[in-house]
Amino acid sequence: MKYKSQSVAWYFFAVSMLLFSLQIIYGFIMAFAHMGYDVLHPVIAFNTARAVHTNLLVMWLLSGFMGAAYYIIPEECEQELISPKLAFLQLGAFVAVGVTAIIGFHFNWWEGRKFLEIPRPLDYLVVVDVLLFIYLIGGTIVKSKKKTTTAMVLFFGLFTAALLYLPGMIPTVNQTMDSYWRWWVVHLWVEGVWELIMGGILSFLLIKITGVDREIIEKWLYVIVGFTFLSGILGTGHHYYYIGTPKYWLWIGGFFSALEPIAFLGMAIYAIAMMRKGGKQITNSTAILWTIGCSVMSFVGAGFLGFAHTLPSVNMYTHGTLVTAMHGHMAFWGAYAMIVLSIITYALPNMTGRNLQDSKMNVFAFWASNIGMVFMTIAFGIAGVAQVYLERKMGIDFLSVQKEIEVHFIGLTLAATIFTLGAGAFIWNFIRFGLPKAEAK
Amino acid sequence: MLSKSAAKAFFIGGTTLSFAAFILLTLDTIKQVPKQTHAENINEHVIRGKDLWDHNNCMGCHTIMGEGAYYAPELTKVFERRGEGFIRAMLKDPEAMYPGQRKMVNYHFKDEEMTDLIAFFKWIGEVDLNGFPKKPDLSPTANISATSSTAAGAVVVKQLDRPLIFNQMCVACHALGGQGGSVGPALDGVGSRLDKDTIVKRLNDPTSVKADSKMPKLPLTKENIIELSAFLSELKSTGGAK
Repeated sequence: MKYKSQSVAWYFFAVSMLLFSLQIIYGFIMAFAHMGYDVLHPVIAFNTARAVHTNLLVMWLLSGFMGAAYYIIPEECEQELISPKLAFLQLGAFVAVGVTAIIGFHFNWWEGRKFLEIPRPLDYLVVVDVLLFIYLIGGTIVKSKKKTTTAMVLFFGLFTAALLYLPGMIPTVNQTMDSYWRWWVVHLWVEGVWELIMGGILSFLLIKITGVDREIIEKWLYVIVGFTFLSGILGTGHHYYYIGTPKYWLWIGGFFSALEPIAFLGMAIYAIAMMRKGGKQITNSTAILWTIGCSVMSFVGAGFLGFAHTLPSVNMYTHGTLVTAMHGHMAFWGAYAMIVLSIITYALPNMTGRNLQDSKMNVFAFWASNIGMVFMTIAFGIAGVAQVYLERKMGIDFLSVQKEIEVHFIGLTLAATIFTLGAGAFIWNFIRFGLPKAEAK
Repeated sequence: MLSKSAAKAFFIGGTTLSFAAFILLTLDTIKQVPKQTHAENINEHVIRGKDLWDHNNCMGCHTIMGEGAYYAPELTKVFERRGEGFIRAMLKDPEAMYPGQRKMVNYHFKDEEMTDLIAFFKWIGEVDLNGFPKKPDLSPTANISATSSTAAGAVVVKQLDRPLIFNQMCVACHALGGQGGSVGPALDGVGSRLDKDTIVKRLNDPTSVKADSKMPKLPLTKENIIELSAFLSELKSTGGAK
C-alpha cells in the first residue's frame, strides 16, 4: 500500500463480504421454494427473498467497486484521497440506506420494479451518497497532476453509472415506459458502464501483475471499452422486443446485442495475452487466477450465454423464463463478482502486510466457487430449456411445468453448496488477513 | 500498428455515435408508445392498479410483459385467460384457489383495489407486444368430443363447444384432453363418473357432496352452473365406459 488513505478500501471490501454472504442465504431460500419447500413463506415470501437477493448483489458489487476506486485512484494518481474521513461517512451512509432498504423489503416497503426495488425516498439518499463518492474520487483526480487512462476510464465508468441511476426515477403511468426507463439503468449499467469499471480494474491489475508497458495495456483498454459501447448501447434494444415498444427494436436490438460478446471476448484475450507477455515476478498467483478467471467466465456467462437467447426469434420463447436466470447468474458472477474478488485478492496482502493470498484455502475458494457456479448455471439451463419447451412450446400449464422441473433445483442446490464452500473459504481467508496496517508496504 | 490516440478516438467516436443514435430512437419510441400501448385507455383505475402492482412487488414472483421473476405465472394476458371472476377469487384467498400448491401472499385487497388491479391487467393485455407471448406451436391438438350410442349401436361423435367460463376457471386446476392444470383430477369422462345433479351440487358447493374436497367454492352464477353442468355431463368416457 503506497498511500495511507488506500486503507479506506478495506472497509468497503469488508462490507462487500458481509453482504455477499447474506446474498447467498437468500439464494438458498429461493432454491428451496422452487423445490417445493417454501416453509419460510409466511415470514420471507418469494418476492422478498428475490428482492433481497438481487439488491444485496448490486450493493456488494457497488461497495466492491467503490473500494476498488478508493484503492486504485490514489495509486494511479499518486495522490492521497482528498478526505478519508468523508469516505468513511460515505460508506456509513451507504450501509445505512442499504440496511433500511433490505429490512423494508421484509415489510412490503418497496417499489416493485425488478432490480430497482429500493423505495423512492431512499433513491434520493442513494443519489446523495453517490454524489459524495464521485466528489471524493473526482476531487482526488483533479488535485493530482497525473491522469492515467486507467484512472480516467474507471472514473468515467463510476460517474456515468451514477448518472444513469436517474432515468430510473422518471415518473410514468405507462408500464411500457416504466420498463423502458428501467432498462436505461439496468442494461446500461451491466452491459455498458459497469464494463468500463470492470475494464479499468482489469487494466490496473494487469499493469501491476504483469509489468507490461502501461501504454500497451491502456491502448487495448480503449479498444475494448470502445466495442462495449458500440454494441452495448444500442444492444439495450434486446429488452425492447416485447414490451410494447416499436418493432424496429427487434432488428436493432438483435443486431447490436449479438455483437456484445466481442467486448467480453476482447477482455479474455486481452488478459491472457498480457499475462503471457509479462515477465514480472509473480508474488500473488491467486490474484492472477482470479483475474484470468474473471475475463474467461465473463465471456462465457455474459458474452456466450447472453448471445444464446438474445436473438428475437429465440427470445420470443425464452423471454421471462428460467433461461434468463441461467445467463444472469454466470454473467454477474463472471464479470462483476469475480472482478471485485480479483481486486480484493490483489489488494489484501498490500493492505494488511500479511501474505495469505496463495494459501491453500484461497486456491480452494477459487476452484470451488467457480466449479459450483458452472454447475449452478447448467442446472438453471436445463430447468429453463425444459420450461421453454413444456410451457411455451407445448402449452402445458405453468404450475404443472414447475413441478416437472423441481428436480433440477435439487441439482442447483447441490451445486450452490459447492459454490458456498468456495465463497465461505474466500470470506474466511479475508478475515484471516486481519485489519489494514498503516505501515504495510 | 494501432496507436493509443487512434484507440482513444475509436472509443470516443463509437460511443458518441451509438449514444446519439440511441437518443434519436428513444425520442421516436416516446412518440410511438402511446399509440402502441393504447395510452388513451390508461384511466385512474389502471394507474391505481399499476401502483398496487408496484407497491406489492408483484414482479418479485410473477412476470408481466415477460419481465419479473419466474416463480409464478406470466400475467400479461391474465384478464383474457382467467376472467375477472377468477382474478377476484384468487386475490381474495390465493391458498384456497390452489390448495396445497405453491403459495401466494394474501394482500387482503379491498374490492375497489381488486377492480383497479383488474383494470390494469385488462389494459396491459391489450398492449401490442409485437406478438408476445406466442401461441404454443407444439401443442397437442385437443379434440374434445362426446360420444353417445344410438339405439342402432352407431357411435355418434359430436364436437362440444367448451364454455368460456370452463376455459377461464376450470382449466386453471383441471385438465381436459391433456390441457389444463394438474391441481385437481382431469375432467375427461367426468360425465360418466358423476351425474348431472351431482355436478350441479359440487359446483354450487364442492364440500356438499364430498366433505374432504379441497376445491374452492367458485364465484359462479346460476347461468354458469347450468352451462357448465350441461357441458361436463356430456363428457362421457370413450372406450371402456358403459
